[in-house]
Amino acid sequence: MGKKLTIFLFLLPSLVGLVLFSIIPIGTSLYLSLTEWDVIGGPPKFHGLKNYVQILQSEEMGRILGNTLYFIVLYIPLILTVSILVALLLNNPYKGIGIYRTIYYVPVLTSWVAAALLWKWLLNARYGAVNAILGWFGIQGPSWLQDKAWAMPGVVLSSIWKDMGYFSLIFLAGLQGIDKTYYEAAEIDGASSFAKFRYITLPLVTPTLFFVMVICIINSFQLFPQVMVMTEGGPGGATQVFVERIYNYAFRYYKMGYAASLSWILFAFIFVATIIQLRMQKRWVHYDS
Amino acid sequence: MKNLKRFMVLSLLLVLCLSFTAFAQVVTIDFLNFSSSGDNEVHLEKMREIFEAQNPNIKVNIQTIGYGDYFVRLMTSVVAGTAPDAFELNFENFAAYAMKGTIMPLEELMEKTGFDTSVSDPNALAAFRSDGKQYGLPFSFSNVIVLYNKDLFDQANVPYPNSDWTWADQLDAAIKIRALGEDIFGIFQPIQFHEFYKVVRQNGGRLFNADMTKFTVNTPENVETLQYMVDRVQKYNVMPTEEQLSGMGDWDLFAAGRLGMLVTGSWAFPYMMENCDFDWDIAVEPGNTAKATHFFANGLVINKDTDKAEAAFEWIKFLSTSKEAAEIRVQAGWELPAVTHQEILDLYAATTPPESKSVIFESLQYLVTPPVIEQFGELSDILGRHLGDARDGFVTPQEALDAAQAELESRITL
Amino acid sequence: MTRRLLIKKVSFYLFASLIGFFNLIPFFWMVSTSLKARKALAVLPVQWIPEEPSFEAYQRLFQLFPFARAIWNSVFISVTTTVIVVVSASLAAYVFAKVPFKGREVLFTLFLMTMMIPGQVTMIPNFLVLRYLGLLNTYLGVLLPTIYNAFATFLLRQNMRIIPDAFLEAAIIDGASHFTIFSRIVVPLSKPILAALSVITFMGTWNDYLWPLIVLTDRAKMTLPVGLGLLNTQYGNQYNLLMAGGLISMVPILLLYFLAQKHFEQGLSIGGIKG
Repeated sequence: MGKKLTIFLFLLPSLVGLVLFSIIPIGTSLYLSLTEWDVIGGPPKFHGLKNYVQILQSEEMGRILGNTLYFIVLYIPLILTVSILVALLLNNPYKGIGIYRTIYYVPVLTSWVAAALLWKWLLNARYGAVNAILGWFGIQGPSWLQDKAWAMPGVVLSSIWKDMGYFSLIFLAGLQGIDKTYYEAAEIDGASSFAKFRYITLPLVTPTLFFVMVICIINSFQLFPQVMVMTEGGPGGATQVFVERIYNYAFRYYKMGYAASLSWILFAFIFVATIIQLRMQKRWVHYDS
Repeated sequence: MKNLKRFMVLSLLLVLCLSFTAFAQVVTIDFLNFSSSGDNEVHLEKMREIFEAQNPNIKVNIQTIGYGDYFVRLMTSVVAGTAPDAFELNFENFAAYAMKGTIMPLEELMEKTGFDTSVSDPNALAAFRSDGKQYGLPFSFSNVIVLYNKDLFDQANVPYPNSDWTWADQLDAAIKIRALGEDIFGIFQPIQFHEFYKVVRQNGGRLFNADMTKFTVNTPENVETLQYMVDRVQKYNVMPTEEQLSGMGDWDLFAAGRLGMLVTGSWAFPYMMENCDFDWDIAVEPGNTAKATHFFANGLVINKDTDKAEAAFEWIKFLSTSKEAAEIRVQAGWELPAVTHQEILDLYAATTPPESKSVIFESLQYLVTPPVIEQFGELSDILGRHLGDARDGFVTPQEALDAAQAELESRITL
Repeated sequence: MTRRLLIKKVSFYLFASLIGFFNLIPFFWMVSTSLKARKALAVLPVQWIPEEPSFEAYQRLFQLFPFARAIWNSVFISVTTTVIVVVSASLAAYVFAKVPFKGREVLFTLFLMTMMIPGQVTMIPNFLVLRYLGLLNTYLGVLLPTIYNAFATFLLRQNMRIIPDAFLEAAIIDGASHFTIFSRIVVPLSKPILAALSVITFMGTWNDYLWPLIVLTDRAKMTLPVGLGLLNTQYGNQYNLLMAGGLISMVPILLLYFLAQKHFEQGLSIGGIKG
């Protein structure tokens, strides 16, 4: 009895918020996805699954999905590697570590609007810093955001810069949370640093890695502010992605029902991706006990 | 003593009553706008002060937000029934709001207040009509003209553009200017929807049939038009490719003295005055088989559900037509007021550069307005994407417009 | 041994500095752009260090909107939100991590699923809920929805799960209540991640733009990003102003970060010793 009440009280604030600000709005958007609604003109008109059919048949769907996968394939391996490396680096006891930690965190502190504007300028083909630096190594940089093939890598680059500090902070917290006695025991056994990383650090950081992966996949599917500011979906639709389309349909094209359907399709993709990860988790994520 | 007390009570009551009625008479209206965001909020504030002095019974609560998410905020407030009494719309969104019945037709209010239409610029006023009804008053407008660098024209030994020149004359001049140097270009005119719907008209084409029931995007005239625009980039290279431009703004290119002609709006003047250290002037756009120019206009509208329509109308009327507001606008260099007051126009013409300010008014004669359809944003995005493909040489103009025609037919119901 | 250590040390600094360079170059460009007058923006060749530094951008920024007021609003909203999120999410995360009950996994999956719907389509329904509650144009309208935060709950739950159950079992045998276990054992052990979450939440709220823009319509309630949004005009952007605005809006976060970093390190060592 007492336990149940405790559980209930612990969950109460979240549950109230969940119902009011998540379940109700999400339910509404599910209904809206079955309607045609121009938002400003009057109430939504029910028209069944038409939006879904139209979306799935559209040429646009393939383009959005392709662009999103392109982003994921580039972004996920890069961000995971880089942020674990940085976290390991920051987990050292050397002098000045605090300064490095702060430096790495600076990009996270900028707002996406400012960061995206900045990167738009940095990726400028002729006068931008990125191509200038590539030039030092004799590399002729591409036109980045003006080039259909290079626009998405440009977006990825900006995202790595912006997110690296954030995820390495999370990894660092994970690393620091590891019980020191494990290492002490390993040292007594004479384990090498690599062995310690491979058999202690890596397994114990897997809950964090799992978390970061789930979040990264969701964020990648919901990629938005950088695209909106840097390319507006261009050039020639090469960076059109789910949320960018949803925003446009909802607020520029007066097709809220269509936008809602598109977000449920987006949901389906994320859901499947997450379920797969949750299933796989048993194979490689180590929780204590 | 008793009398005094009674007198005091009475006078107190009287004061209370008076102040109460005075309170009741003052109406506060909410006004939402985007075009004063950035630098012009102070000027709008000045207009409000004058207005409130003239209309002691009306208070205006101005809300200014940035252009980027203006329409998100407006839409949400419309859905929730908390929309401001009066607000600003750009031309693109005006059509949707008028057709959906979100805003109030103004005829009745115009009649009631004896609105004098002759003080408004007729073109700008007509832009905010839909289905034969006046739904908005023009707030400001900016039309598109050709800015040209006189020094480069002199160097290339080409006569300055005039009102009679044609596409061929313009191309000829652009080629000669391009020859001046590797880094110097003849002309810049964005290849996107907002230019395209007008440039096809210069070639006798249209994007829709006459009763706006069908798209006519890939007609031979339009393909020819796009070919002409693309050739300037790909074939003659008098206009920089995206790569040559490499993210540099067209204004910056012009201000850097590297561009002979720039097709842009009159809102560029303050920037050019500040940044150009050479002589420049403006001219009416050339035509091919016909002349056509276009403008961007922002309108003022009234929420159909407001219970303060009259006060709101007084305010938008003041902003749109009063000499005071127009004068503040001209002095601030904040676009063009849509009025016919001669002294205001004289004042506007007197501020130079550009010298040939009269071109602004002259080009209004050839004005074409963008198609008024609800799905304006989607139309412009789809067409823009295909135009970009042609500009960058991925597809031929014919292919681009065929693809655009097909996609528009499947996505937009007219 | 010492030589190996030296090599390790040198390679550390080399590597760390290289990444630091990658991080700071854009930031440097931001500072440099913010110190340029509008005219100097389009000058060629590019000036890495402005030839004539100008505070024009900063001056104009302060004239643009009630700056002090907006900063105060942002601080108030961000601090309050951070407290709400940390308290509410850690309570829920504790249950999800350490107190098994029937239906727990289903409920948790529901939490995760709500993260998968983009905010752009639930914004209008959310707005209508607020109107129904009568919270439009109130601070509460911005604060209340933050009591539910699936991301924060997920983050904390993942970290609380690695606290050994043996710790808690000992306390339960001693007859401690869940609240005692939560506040005396779990919270102190979770300090590093709570500090991280605070920084993340504060930052997210600090930079939040669209929601405060549509909910808080009074000019007096304007937050800093909404004020800076005024720079977004119909025809083009002014980079120097935007960069100056971006920089100013970073200052409070940087301060908080330095502040939190101390607690953070304290938390880290506590976690280390006790763990």
